[in-house]
Amino acid sequence: MVWTGWWNETRLAANSIAAYATDWVSPTLRLGVTGLSRSGKTVFITALVHGLLTAARWPVFEAQAQGRIARVRLEPQPDDGVPRFPYEDHLETLTARRQWPEGTKRISEIRLAIDFASNAGIMRGTEKTLTLDIVDYPGEWLLDLPLLAQSYAEWSRLAIEAARRPPRAPLAAQWLAATTATQPFDKASESNARRLAELFTAYLKSCRDERVSLSTLPPGRFLLPGEMEGSPALTFAPLDLDGREPAGDSLASLMEKRFESYKRLVVMPFYTNHFATLDRQIVLVDALAALNAGPAALADLEIALADVLTAFRPGANSILSAMLSRRIDRILFAATKADHLHQTSHDRLEGLLKRLTDRAIRRAEFAGARVDAVALASLRATRETTVTRLGRPLSCIVGTPMPGETTGGEIFDGQSEVAVFPGELPSDPAGLFAGPDAFRGEDYRFVRFLPPKADPTQPLPHIRLDRAVEFLIGDRLA
Amino acid sequence: MTKNSPQRPQAFRLDAEDVEIAPPSDAPVPVRSGPPVEAQLAPPGPPPKTGFWVKLFWTGLGGIVSLAFGMAVSRLVDDLFARAEWLGWIGVAAVALFLLAGLVLAGREMLALRRLRRLDDLRLRADKALVDKDDRAAAAIAADIVTAMAGNARTAKGRAAVALAFSDGVIDGLQRLRIVEREIIEPLDREATRLVAEAARRVSVVTAISPRAALDLAVVFGTAMQLIRRIAELYGGRPGTFGLFKLVRHVLAHMALTGGMAAGDTILDQLVGHGLAAKLSAKLGEGVLNGLLTARLGITAIAVTRPLPYIGAPRPDVRDLVGDAITLTRQNGDARPAA
Repeated sequence: MVWTGWWNETRLAANSIAAYATDWVSPTLRLGVTGLSRSGKTVFITALVHGLLTAARWPVFEAQAQGRIARVRLEPQPDDGVPRFPYEDHLETLTARRQWPEGTKRISEIRLAIDFASNAGIMRGTEKTLTLDIVDYPGEWLLDLPLLAQSYAEWSRLAIEAARRPPRAPLAAQWLAATTATQPFDKASESNARRLAELFTAYLKSCRDERVSLSTLPPGRFLLPGEMEGSPALTFAPLDLDGREPAGDSLASLMEKRFESYKRLVVMPFYTNHFATLDRQIVLVDALAALNAGPAALADLEIALADVLTAFRPGANSILSAMLSRRIDRILFAATKADHLHQTSHDRLEGLLKRLTDRAIRRAEFAGARVDAVALASLRATRETTVTRLGRPLSCIVGTPMPGETTGGEIFDGQSEVAVFPGELPSDPAGLFAGPDAFRGEDYRFVRFLPPKADPTQPLPHIRLDRAVEFLIGDRLA
Repeated sequence: MTKNSPQRPQAFRLDAEDVEIAPPSDAPVPVRSGPPVEAQLAPPGPPPKTGFWVKLFWTGLGGIVSLAFGMAVSRLVDDLFARAEWLGWIGVAAVALFLLAGLVLAGREMLALRRLRRLDDLRLRADKALVDKDDRAAAAIAADIVTAMAGNARTAKGRAAVALAFSDGVIDGLQRLRIVEREIIEPLDREATRLVAEAARRVSVVTAISPRAALDLAVVFGTAMQLIRRIAELYGGRPGTFGLFKLVRHVLAHMALTGGMAAGDTILDQLVGHGLAAKLSAKLGEGVLNGLLTARLGITAIAVTRPLPYIGAPRPDVRDLVGDAITLTRQNGDARPAA
């Protein structure tokens, strides 16, 4: 939890009281969907909304299975300042064009109203409506939240230390050289600041390149600048201050000023307007891509997740806390793209996810929030089969790989279906974290598949999406 | 699958020649249910410790009684033969019939006991799987319950719904248990609750209007026995005579453990202490009390015969079951601070 100063906390408390009052009249649940880039946020939301709207047969989703949900409808967006999640476009991209939609670049929101009959105690049988706001935002933004508690000097020190460690050092070489050549306490020049910021951004971007897949990269808006591109608040970089404080009109104090503006203009509004109002949170994790990229990426993902999760305010809501500050009382960690594995390996993927989020889970549970981890596929792109070769059965998945994907030396054209054996996850995930030689990158190769052929008017295939929905909103439909 | 030689990732064209590829499907891998339930009975707790001499005593006594009985029968048959041969043969036939029927009855009782034990065992295993969050065990139990319920005609619709849900996609064991509970057990719960409510009402009325205490007692006792038997039958137990004894013992022990009387006490207090019942009618008060007791007994019987612990289904509550009379006393009770 981040302490953001009296003024902000008071404002949050006031908002919270207002929200609490509205909740009595019309219950609202704000569900945050986040995850680092390419973790499957957009597909998850599209599949979730589609499933609710088409009343998919979701056996694990109680309210649906008991037939208590009368109607689900899309409602106009509550926040006029936030873009609506373009559900229809994404659905079209997935089903008609069979392509994966563009990733989340900025925050967006979609509102659903669920009419249902209550099943709980005295209220049994009464008709109620739950308003579900789904908030989609890039997980990279969460990495910024810890910045609120850091000074420019601290942040510089941490950023430079991280850049000097092995997996990143080669990528950061150019920027580090430029930084070393810079005298932070000389007079500031805009061109110099700009050049350093560009090199720093280039370094961050190259880190996110798929083969390296490093995930801890604050400030997040450098990667997804959106409409702020080129503004001074995004034109700064860490400097090697040698423990001195920036002062006067030096480059260091210019950078410090911009760092503070970044916090004020970018991080804070996101925190107060969106993040601090969430009730439930799902964090999507693409553990398979990290496995594809090798042990360093996996270790990096672990750190990134731990950082992301320090931003949450988990905990059980008491009446007073529900009024004064909303807390996230349920967090679900989901390893997406479970359809890239045979279902007999799903529990191992879940084990890996639990290992990755272990610290966060314990912290949140200690605070009183409910936490679960699940391996899911929002839209199931594969089916399963058994391939028998030389009398040995091998559990495989069948799907159409994306054009250009390779496995076992074969390149796919994106037309024909193939059966793929993606490698075996270890039963004890601890081995994967043993160090840089824990596994060779080629022990696992998770091919990316095209979305399945599907009829958009029918429920879409999925894996455990219903379990996720039940955990996230099921109790509010009781 | 050893640490040293993990299978390498590989791909196969669907028309490949050298391998055999099964038709792809969405269906979940069928859960291999473990060996039959009876075979993997959990060790049934610490066996009651009977002392060596006590055992010897009972063995001896049993031997004496059997010998005496056998002797008596054989002497009777001898006597019958001595009197007239045809009488002797009739005696032999009667003894044979007696033995045959005895064997059949014993066999039936054994079967009934085993059925009860199977339900017990399922519940214990489910309890353990839920506590351990053991998905595999839970999936096996879910399959076993569906199998165990195959003989129960009432569950046909529920079993079909479960089969449909399971064939639909990947569902983990713990969720499977909940689906089984929702589709198969909950309808039975509703029926069981109805039985209990009915019995409680009957007992209340009969106690309130019966002219003699002995009659109440007989009715309460008879209804209780019948209730326990019917609940066990509903969940697929079909207890025999010994099974019923065992079940009654089980129910009573459970009630003692869970403080079955505790809730009754406060109401008893209200009724007797504040003299409400005495003022209205002592008989009415007794009736309400007996009704309550029957309801509590019924709920306990449900808890010990239900093949699953309560996962998502609502637990029946005495107050839901016993009609207006109790609501009246409860409001009364709530209005006054506990003394």
